[in-house]
Amino acid sequence: MKAYYAQAMEALYVACVGVSGASLVVITLIIPYGVFMRYVVNSPASWPEPAAVLLMIVFSFLGGAAVYRAQVHIAVRALVDAVGPSTQRLMLGLVDIAMALTCLFMFLWGLELVRATWNQVIAEFPLLSVGLTYAPVPLGGLLTLLFILERRWVGEPSPTSLMYRDQAVVLE
Amino acid sequence: MDALVLLGSFTLLCAIGMPVAYTLGLSSLIAALWISLPMEAVMLKISDGTDDFSLLAIPFFVLAGAIMAEGGMATRLVNLAKILVGFIRGGLALVNVLASTFFGAVSGSSVADTASIGTVMIPQMIRAGYPRVFSTNVTICGSVQAILIPPSHNAVIYSLAAGGSISIAHLFLAGVFPGLLFGLCLTGLVLITAHRRGFPKSEPVPLRQALRIALDAVWGLITIVIILGGILGGIFTATESAAVACLYAFIVTMFVYRDYRWRDLPRLLHRTVKTVAMVMMLIGFSAAFGYMMAIMQIPARATEFFLALTTNTYAMLLLVNVLLLALGTFLDLAPMILICTPILLPVMVKLGVDPVHFGMILLVNGGIGLITPPVGPTLFVGCAIGRVSMEEVSRELWPFYGTMILALLLVTYLPALSLWLPSLVRF
Repeated sequence: MKAYYAQAMEALYVACVGVSGASLVVITLIIPYGVFMRYVVNSPASWPEPAAVLLMIVFSFLGGAAVYRAQVHIAVRALVDAVGPSTQRLMLGLVDIAMALTCLFMFLWGLELVRATWNQVIAEFPLLSVGLTYAPVPLGGLLTLLFILERRWVGEPSPTSLMYRDQAVVLE
Repeated sequence: MDALVLLGSFTLLCAIGMPVAYTLGLSSLIAALWISLPMEAVMLKISDGTDDFSLLAIPFFVLAGAIMAEGGMATRLVNLAKILVGFIRGGLALVNVLASTFFGAVSGSSVADTASIGTVMIPQMIRAGYPRVFSTNVTICGSVQAILIPPSHNAVIYSLAAGGSISIAHLFLAGVFPGLLFGLCLTGLVLITAHRRGFPKSEPVPLRQALRIALDAVWGLITIVIILGGILGGIFTATESAAVACLYAFIVTMFVYRDYRWRDLPRLLHRTVKTVAMVMMLIGFSAAFGYMMAIMQIPARATEFFLALTTNTYAMLLLVNVLLLALGTFLDLAPMILICTPILLPVMVKLGVDPVHFGMILLVNGGIGLITPPVGPTLFVGCAIGRVSMEEVSRELWPFYGTMILALLLVTYLPALSLWLPSLVRF
C-alpha cells in the first residue's frame, strides 16, 4: 500500500513540475508574441497578458506543492539544528501539523472562494469562469497535503526520484 | 494584542523550522480567525499576491540567468574579464570579481553567479596557486554584485513589496553604481591581498585573440542592452524585456554558442520551476501577511515605535542597517524584503529617505546576509563548489565583510550613489 502511494506521489510530482514547466514555457513565448504583434504587425493582442497571469497562478501553486515535496522551501533551521534529537523530532512533527493545517485552510476556503466566483466570467476570456483563477489555491493546498502525508506515512521519497535529477550541467 | 497574535505566531512558527512562506500564510490565517475576518478574504489575498503582471519578470529573469549560466555564457564572460585584468598581479582574483560584474548584469542572482563563475574560476585559481579558501571567498563576495546590478529580480520583489508604487526601471538604474562600488571595493581588497601575499599574474592575451574573445562575449552582453535599452527606450515594460531577454538567451545558447544539449533543457526547466515557485509562494503568502499587518495598523505602529527611538535620519539608518544585517544572517533575501519592506519603508519615508534609496540599502544588507552563516545560500553554494568547510571560509571572510560594510555605509550615507542615475530619467 505504501509503495503504491509513493508511486502515485511520484507521478503527482512529475505532473506538478510538468504542468508548471509547460506554463513557464508558454508564458515565455506569449509575452514576446504580444510585443511582436504590437510593434511588428501593428495589431496589439489583448489576450497574452491576462493569459500569462492566469498561467502564473497555476505555475505558482502547483510548483509550490512540488517545491514542498523537494524540500526546497526556505526555512529558518538555526534553532532546529541546535537542539537535541528528541526536541528536533518534536519540532519537525509540529511543523508537519502546522503545514497540514495551512494546506487544509487553503483547500477548504480556497474551494469556497472558487464556488463564490464560479458564475462570474473573465472579461478577456468570456468562456472561462473567474473561479478558475482561484482554483490553483485549493488544488495546491490539496497536493501539498498529499505530499505531507507521504512524508509522514511513507517517509522520504526514493533516492531515484525525478525530484533529485535536476543538477546543473557543467560545461567543459 | 492583535499584532502580538500575528507577529508572535509568525516568530514561533519560523523558530520551529516551518517554511517561511507557509509561516506567513498560517500566521495570517490565525490572525484572521482572531479578529473574526472571513477566511475567504485571506485566500483572496494569497491568490491576488501572485496575479500581478509585473511579477512575471521574476521567472523570466531566473530562467534567462539559468540559461546563460549553464549555456556557456559564464565561461565567455570570464574570458572577457581575463583579457581586461588578467595580466595584473592577483589577476585571476580580479577576473573573478569582474566576471561577476558582467554576469550580474545578465543574471541578477547571487547564487547563480557563484555557481557559474565559481565552477569556472575556483579550479583555475587553485591551479594557478591561489589558496582554496581565498578563491572561494572572492567568488562568493563578488557574486553579491548581482543583487544590485540590473536586472535584479530582487529589485522587482522590492517594488512589489512596496505596493508596486516604485518604478522597477528606477530601481534597476539605482543599482548600477552601488553594484559597481561593491566590485570596486572588492577589487581594492584583492589588489592589497595579492601584493601582500605575492599572488601570480598571467600573461597578457595577444590582441587578435583578445578581439576574438571580446566578440564571442558580446552576444552575452547584448542581453543587458535588450533589458535596459528596452525599458529606458520605452519599448518594453520590465516584464516584456525580461521575456524577450529570456528568448534571446535561449537563441544565443542553443543556436549561436551551441554548447548546451537539448536533452538537458528539461533539467534546467525543472530547477527553474523549483526556484521560482518557491519565491512565488513566498510572495503570495506575504501578500496576505501584508494585508493583515495593514488591517492591524502594524506599519503605522512600527513607525511610531522607531520614531520614538530617534528622529535623526543618520542614526535611524544606522539602526536599520544593524537590524537588517542581523536579520540577514538567518533570513534569505526574498523573505527579508517581503517582511521588512512594509514595516520599515513607512519609517524611512517619514524621515525623508527616498524609497528607491532605501531599496538599495535593503538589497545591500540582504546581499551581505547571503554570505553570512548560519543561513547563507550563496555561502553554502560557494563552499560546495570550492570544496571547503563553512568554518574555514568564515574564518577568512572578515576582511571581505569589512569591505562590504564599507560599501554598505557608502550606499547608505551617499544617497546620490543610488539616486543620481534614476534622476536623469523621467517616466
